[in-house]
Amino acid sequence: MRKRILSLLLAGAMSVTMLAGCGGSGKASGKTEGNTAKEDPVQTLIKNTKDPVNLTLWCSETEAYQKVMKERVDAFEKQYPKVKFNITIGAESEANCKDDVLKDVEAAADVFVFPDDQLDGLVQAGALQSVDATYTYDPAKANTKETVEAASRDGKMYAYPMTASNGYFLYYNKNVLSDEDVKSWDTMLKKAGEQGKTVGMEVSGAWFLYGFFSGAGLEMKKGDEDKNTCNWNSTDGKYKGVDVAKAITEICKNKAMVNCVNEDAQAFALDGKMVADVNGTWASGAFKKAYGDGYAATKLPTFTVNGDQVQQGSFAGYKFVGVNAYSKNTGWAMLLSEFLTNEESQSAIAQATGEGPSNTKVAESDVVTKEPAIKALGEQAPYADLQRVGESYWEPAATLGQSLVEGNYKDPQKLLDDAVAGITQ
Amino acid sequence: MTGKIKNYFAGFAEAVRKGDRWTRSSLLLFGAGYIGRGQIIRGILVQLIQIGFIWFTFGFSAQYMMQLPTLGTVQREETFDPATLAKTVNDYDNSLLILLCGIIGIFFILAYILLFFQNTRRVYGLQKRAEAKEHINSFREDLHTLINEKFYLTLLSLPGLGVLLVNIFPILFMICVAFTNYDKRHQPPTYLFTWVGLENFKTLFTSSQTVTFGYAFIRILVWTMIWAFAATFTTFIGGILLAKFINDRRTRCQKLWRSLFVITIAIPQFVTLLLVGKMFGDYGIVNSICSKIGLTGFLKSIGLVGAGLSYIPFLSKPGWAHVMVILINIWVGVPFQMLSATGILMNIPNDQLEAARIDGASERQIFRKITMPYVLFITGPSLITAFIANINNFNVIYLLTSDYVSTNMKFANSNAKEPDLLITWLFNLTNNHSNFKMASVIGICVFLISAIGTLISFARLIKGNREEDFQ
Amino acid sequence: MSKKYIRPVLRHLFLAALVFVWLIPILWLFVTSLSTYKGINTMHFFPTHWTLDNYHQLFFRPDTVANFPAWFRNSMVIGCCCCVISTFFVLMVSYAFSCMRFPGRKKLMSFSIILGMFPGVLSMIAIYFVMKLLGLTDSIGGLIIIYSAGSGLGFLICKGFFDTIPASLRESARLEGASELQIFTRVVIPLSKPMIVYTVINAFLTPWMDFVMAKLMIRSKEPSHWTVAMGLFNLVQRTLVGDYFTVFCAGGLIVAIPISVLFIIMQRFYVEGITGGAVKG
Repeated sequence: MRKRILSLLLAGAMSVTMLAGCGGSGKASGKTEGNTAKEDPVQTLIKNTKDPVNLTLWCSETEAYQKVMKERVDAFEKQYPKVKFNITIGAESEANCKDDVLKDVEAAADVFVFPDDQLDGLVQAGALQSVDATYTYDPAKANTKETVEAASRDGKMYAYPMTASNGYFLYYNKNVLSDEDVKSWDTMLKKAGEQGKTVGMEVSGAWFLYGFFSGAGLEMKKGDEDKNTCNWNSTDGKYKGVDVAKAITEICKNKAMVNCVNEDAQAFALDGKMVADVNGTWASGAFKKAYGDGYAATKLPTFTVNGDQVQQGSFAGYKFVGVNAYSKNTGWAMLLSEFLTNEESQSAIAQATGEGPSNTKVAESDVVTKEPAIKALGEQAPYADLQRVGESYWEPAATLGQSLVEGNYKDPQKLLDDAVAGITQ
Repeated sequence: MTGKIKNYFAGFAEAVRKGDRWTRSSLLLFGAGYIGRGQIIRGILVQLIQIGFIWFTFGFSAQYMMQLPTLGTVQREETFDPATLAKTVNDYDNSLLILLCGIIGIFFILAYILLFFQNTRRVYGLQKRAEAKEHINSFREDLHTLINEKFYLTLLSLPGLGVLLVNIFPILFMICVAFTNYDKRHQPPTYLFTWVGLENFKTLFTSSQTVTFGYAFIRILVWTMIWAFAATFTTFIGGILLAKFINDRRTRCQKLWRSLFVITIAIPQFVTLLLVGKMFGDYGIVNSICSKIGLTGFLKSIGLVGAGLSYIPFLSKPGWAHVMVILINIWVGVPFQMLSATGILMNIPNDQLEAARIDGASERQIFRKITMPYVLFITGPSLITAFIANINNFNVIYLLTSDYVSTNMKFANSNAKEPDLLITWLFNLTNNHSNFKMASVIGICVFLISAIGTLISFARLIKGNREEDFQ
Repeated sequence: MSKKYIRPVLRHLFLAALVFVWLIPILWLFVTSLSTYKGINTMHFFPTHWTLDNYHQLFFRPDTVANFPAWFRNSMVIGCCCCVISTFFVLMVSYAFSCMRFPGRKKLMSFSIILGMFPGVLSMIAIYFVMKLLGLTDSIGGLIIIYSAGSGLGFLICKGFFDTIPASLRESARLEGASELQIFTRVVIPLSKPMIVYTVINAFLTPWMDFVMAKLMIRSKEPSHWTVAMGLFNLVQRTLVGDYFTVFCAGGLIVAIPISVLFIIMQRFYVEGITGGAVKG
C-alpha cells in the first residue's frame, strides 16, 4: 500500500522535472521578431537579453590562470553594462577537459579552454559550436595560420585560438651545457654523462615519441573516418622505420638518459641532477627555479639515424577556447570566447602565465619574445607538425615508446608493424 | 510453480465471472470496488495511484517507449543565425534518454498489470466477505496491519524504492547497452545509437591483429581470478596469524599493538594507496633508496630487472606489478582481517581449548586442529563474499597502476593493460574511451561470474533452514 | 635463564618489525606533510626543511583548487546523513527478512544478493542519468541518495545477527500486545548495538573514501562544492601534484582524525559487529 503511494509520488516528481526540463530549447528563435536586418547583431542580442545571463567558464586550475581569467571576465562584463551576467569560472584540468565535457555535454561549461589534441574528440561528439560568425574581431585573420588551421576541421573553424605554446622543446642549464652541446642528443648526453648529470624526456609518451619519427621524415596522421595513416614501419625511403627505432633505443640506452614524466623531471631538475629536459611551457616556472641564472631553452636537438644527424620534430600544440554546442546562451558564450581570445586578452594571459600567444601581433611584442621558452618554441616551429591524430594513436604509440625505451625487443620490424596496425585500426 | 500461476489466474477469472457491479467496475476504475464496500479512503488512494500511473505513462514514458525499437531516428541539427546570435535546434531524439525512460516506462507498465490482477482479486475477496457478512476493515484497521502482519511492506518500501532507483534501473539500462552500438562514434545527445544484437559479444571473443578483445579478455579474466584468489587468501591467513600472534598471552601490551595496526585503516584507502603508488614509482623514494644501497644493480645482475631499465619497475612491468599489487593489498587488507579475526578468536569456546591442553596437545596442534577449523567454519561464507569483493576491487588496482604503460600491443589495442582487472578495464573503457558497448559486455561477464559464485556459496545459507535453528 | 628472555624479546621484536613495515608509509605521509618542498620528494625520506605551513594553507588559505574546510564540511554532512539513512535501511530490511515471514521472502533475498553483485562502476553512468532525470546531479542531496539508497542490499550481516536473537523474546512481546513496529523499535533495535555501530561506521566512511562516483556526480568546478575524497584526489593529478603533494598529505592526515575518533569510540562494538552475525550464525 505505502509502497504504491510512494511510487506514485516518484512518478509525479519525475514528470514534473521532465516537463520543466523540456521547455528550454528552441525558445531563442522566438525572440527575433520585429528586428531590422541592418541592426548590429550584438545590439540586437543585448536588446533581446532580458534575463541575467548565466555562463560557466572552465579553464586551467593554476592560480595564474584563474586570476587572469577572472580579470578578463570582469572586463568583459564591463563592456556590456546593460546586461547582467553571472559568470562562474571553474577550475579544470585541461588534460581531462574532453572527458569531462563528454560525460554530459548538456551539463558542461558554456565556454571551456582545451588543448588542440582534444578538438577531434569534441567535434566528433558534436560538443563544439562552430565559429560561424564573428563580431568583435576576426580570429581567422588575427591568429597565425597554423593555429587557425589547427582549430578547423573540413574548412570550418570550431574554436577560438588562444595560445600557441602547447608544444615541446628543450630546457637546459647553460651553466652545465653549452649552446653547442645541446645541438645534438649525442653531444648533450655525452657532456651530461661526463659530469654525472642526466637529461630527461618522456620517450614513452606518445606525444613526445612522435618527434623522432616525424624528424626522420616518416608520417603519421589522421586520414579518413578518424582512422590514422602511418608509415613508421616503412622499409623503403631514406630512413626506414627500423632505423629510427634503433636510434631511439640507442639514445635511451645512454646512462645519462632518463625517460620520465613531467613531475619526475621537475623533481630531478630541482635536485640538480637533471640538466636538460624535453618539456613544455607549463614547466617553465619549475625549470626557472631549478636552473636559476643558468635557465635556458632551445629547439630540440638532432639525433643520429644511420650515421646522419636528423633534426628531431615535434607536435605543435595550441590551446583553444571552445563554445559548448549545448549552451543555453550561445550568443553570449561566443562573444565571451571572442573577448577571451582577442589581442588584449592574449597579451594579458601571456604575461600572467608565460604561455605564447597565437595572435600574430601579440606574438611579436617583446613581452613575449623575451621569454626563452617561447623563443625556443619559435625555433622549433619549422620542425613542428599540426596535431592531426585519431584517438587510436595514443595507446599503441605509448606502448611502442615503452618498448623502444627498454630496448628488449627482438624484431624491431615486427614491433613497428604491430604498432602501426594498432595506430591505424 | 505453474500450478501456482494457474491458480492465480483462475482466481482472477472467477473474480471477473462472479464479480458484482462494484468488482467489475474496478476492472476499469481500480478504486471502485473499495468505495463500494465502504472503504472510501482506501478506494480514493488506489484510484489516485491508477490515475498517477496513467498520467505518468501517457504524459511521460509513452513517447520514449514507442521509440524503443529504433532508439530514435531524428539526429540533432542546429542552425545558428549570425544576425541575432540566436540558435535553433530541431526536435531531436536522444537515444540514451529513450532507452532509460523506455525501461522505466516498461517497468511501470508491468507494475500496472500486476496491480490490475492483484487489485481485481482483492476487490473480489472483499465482495465475498461482504456476501458472507464478514467484517470489512476500516481504513484505520488497514493502517494497523501495516505495522503488524504487513509490517514488512512498511519496512521494505523505502529501501526497495532506493534500490529500484540506484540499482535496478541502472543495471537494466547497462545490460541493454551491451546490445547497442553506444561508443565514441555514437554518443548522445548529438548522435544516435541503435540495437546491434549480439555483435559486441562476438567482438569480445574475437582476436585479430587490431581487434584484440578476445586476447585481452581471456588474460585479464585469468589474472582477475588469480588476483581475487591470492588477495583473499593472503589477507585472510595474514590477518588470522597476526591476530593470533597479538592475542597470544605471551604478548605484552596487546591493545597497543592492535591500535598501531589499526592506524592504517583510519587513513582513507585512496590516500594511502596513492601514496604507496608514488613511493614505489619508477623514480619514487623506494627506487632512490634501492639504487643507493645497490639493490637495483644486484637485481639487474641476476636478470630480474631488464637491462634497459635504471630503476626497479615495481608497478610498471608485468610480473613485478602483479606481485606488488598483491603485496600492497596485504598491507591494506591485513589490519581489517586482524580486527575481525580478533573477534572470532576471542569467541572460541574455551572448554574445547582447555580440554585439548589437558590432553597434552601442543600450541601448534591446537591451532591446526581447533582454531583454524573453527575460524574457517565461521568465516567460510564471508570468505566467498571477500573473494567476490576482490574480483571487483577497483581501488587497489586503479590507484596503484594509473601510470602503468603496457608494452604489449595486443593489450594496448583493446585499451587494456596487464595488471588490469575486468572492473578497472571496463572503467577505463567507459571513462576514457566512451566505449560503453564493450564495457557493458564485460560488465555482464563480471556479473555472471560473481552471481554464480555467490549463488553457490549462499545456496546453503538461504535455502537451508539454518536461520530457524538459532531462534 | 637466557632462553627464557630471548623468546619473548624475539616475539616483540618481530611484532615491532611488522609495525615498522605497516607504519612506514604513514610516517612518510606525516613527514612529507611537514615539508617545505611542495612536490613529491623522491630523493630523501625526510624533508630537508620543516614547516607547518601546509596545514595552515589547508585550513586558512583556500584557493582555486583546494578548499579543504568546505570539503570537510560537505563530507561531514554527507557522512552524517548517510549514516542515519543507511542504518535505518539496513535495520529495516534485515528485520523484514529475518523476523517476518511473507510470501516470496527467500526469492526476494536471493534476488537482492545477486543484485548487489553487479559491478557498481558500470552502472555509474546510468545512475548519473537517473539522477539527472530527478534533477539531483551536482548536489549534496543527490550524493546522499546515491550512497544510501542502495544500502538496503547490505542486509546480510545484520540479518545474520537478527537471526541469533531468540524468537521467544519477540513472541513474549507479542503476547503482551506489542505491535511489530514496537517489537522492532523496543526489542530488537536495543539488542543490536554492535550491528548499528558497524553499519554507522561503514556508512559514514563511504563519502570520505569515494572519489569515482563523486567526481561523476558533482560537475561543479568550484572547489567549495566538492567532497574531501574528490578534492584530495584532484590534488595529485599530473598538473597539480608538483605544487600540492604536501598539502595532499596534510589533508590525508586530517581526514584520518574523524575516522579514528569514530573507530576508537566504537572499536569494541565494531569487532562484535563484524563477527557478531557470523559467530552465532
